Amino acid sequence: MIIRIEGESDIPIYTQITNQIIEGIARGEIARGDSLPSVRAFAADLGVNMHTVNKSYHELEKKGIIKIVPKSGAIISPTEQMSEEKMQQIFTELKPVIAEALVSGMNKKDIRDMVSSILEELKER
Amino acid sequence: MSFLIFFIITLFIAGIQTVIPFLVNRAIVFGVMIPEQHIEDDSIKKFKKHYSMIVGLLSIVILTSYIGWTFSNARQDNEVALAGAIIEFALIFISLSFYLYYHGKTKQLKQQNQWVEHLKPMKVTDLSVRKQDEMLPWYVYLLPILSTIGLLIYTVLNYDLLPDQIPTHWGPSGEADAFTVKTPFSSVQLSLFLLIMQLMFLGIHIATKNSGIKLSATALESSRNRQLTLRKSSSWFLYIVLLGATMLMSYFQLTTIHPEIGEGTVKILIPFSFLILVLVGTLIFAIKVGRSDKEIAQSVEAQIMDLDEDKYWKGGIFYFNKNDPSIFVEKRFGVGWTINFANPIGYLIVFLPIVLIILISVLA
Repeated sequence: MIIRIEGESDIPIYTQITNQIIEGIARGEIARGDSLPSVRAFAADLGVNMHTVNKSYHELEKKGIIKIVPKSGAIISPTEQMSEEKMQQIFTELKPVIAEALVSGMNKKDIRDMVSSILEELKER
Repeated sequence: MSFLIFFIITLFIAGIQTVIPFLVNRAIVFGVMIPEQHIEDDSIKKFKKHYSMIVGLLSIVILTSYIGWTFSNARQDNEVALAGAIIEFALIFISLSFYLYYHGKTKQLKQQNQWVEHLKPMKVTDLSVRKQDEMLPWYVYLLPILSTIGLLIYTVLNYDLLPDQIPTHWGPSGEADAFTVKTPFSSVQLSLFLLIMQLMFLGIHIATKNSGIKLSATALESSRNRQLTLRKSSSWFLYIVLLGATMLMSYFQLTTIHPEIGEGTVKILIPFSFLILVLVGTLIFAIKVGRSDKEIAQSVEAQIMDLDEDKYWKGGIFYFNKNDPSIFVEKRFGVGWTINFANPIGYLIVFLPIVLIILISVLA
């Protein structure tokens, strides 16, 4: 899977890495059970600080998306049963984004279309 | 003999220096990063051509004068060697000067035309690129290292057979020309140096393997091909040179113990074959890597470029980047690797063994 980082973006590099890995899993470009490169190798390949990659891996681990196993590296976790808790977390994260979209002048149809197009895009391999 | 060796080496240096602009990474021109959209620019093509023509012509003049000077009078062998060393340095100095001149001009050209102003800088990597890396495994180094340890033990066991004067230096014809008094230490000194060198090569190998595989956002496939070719070829080249050096130095050590095996033509042939091995190896390596990113056609995405890293490259030659955990990175002008001066581990691997060898030779 190709990771592309924008050099002059407002989004910090570790967030860009986290987001792209999550999208990659959703799209099926990385399979569950696959391992991610070691922090050192990943940072060296991108030419970024090791802390940056480390931060992203820990963020992914906190979300339950990867498991960091000492010595064997970071492994993509198998699908979990959707928990009530997780659902609640995504709900609280999504709600302000949708509210912001409404405030900025998007109507309900625009938002529905946008969500469907994102779902469509992530289905593609 | 001296003339032939110096002539071949200088011819070789001249040849490589002349064609370097065409062997380096396609997106780097005289140490300056040029966005993919502009690498076919006419001024850039002109700079490269002019550099090659000037360095090539001057090389021919220098080499012809060297031939003329050597054969115009009966010259002493050491005179020929000294002159040879001088012209080698002169050649490197000349090509470096022209490099710096065109480095400045290319930088100016990039600024004046605002080539990077409206392009979005990107960094890119492939999560599976590490699986495509074909560098040799580190444990192949155990073979020469164990063989040297064997040689060390063999020397200690045959201490009585060693002559009272231990050779420490050999001339180009394979004849020992400097000696030291026999002591337990001086008898194993050569094998010890060999061992330090082998450990240094192993360190370089491991550090290279851990260094970044740098892909280009605008030339993904050709940069991938170049990086993987560079890594694979340099790991083979390093290993083969080390095997050659191990054989050469083991041979010297064995002839010190058993003088009878070093008689006749082998004496000249062995050091000379090592020289040929290194030169031919370098040539194959430079051409293989140099071509590896020129053959895949690129389709350029209009508005992006690779992150401009010129600020980390002093003069386009020395790399200082605190954020990059890589110990070695691909050279900008030339084919091969250079050290990341902002990473102290690199100093340890490259300079410590050299300091150690110098210290031992001075103090012992």
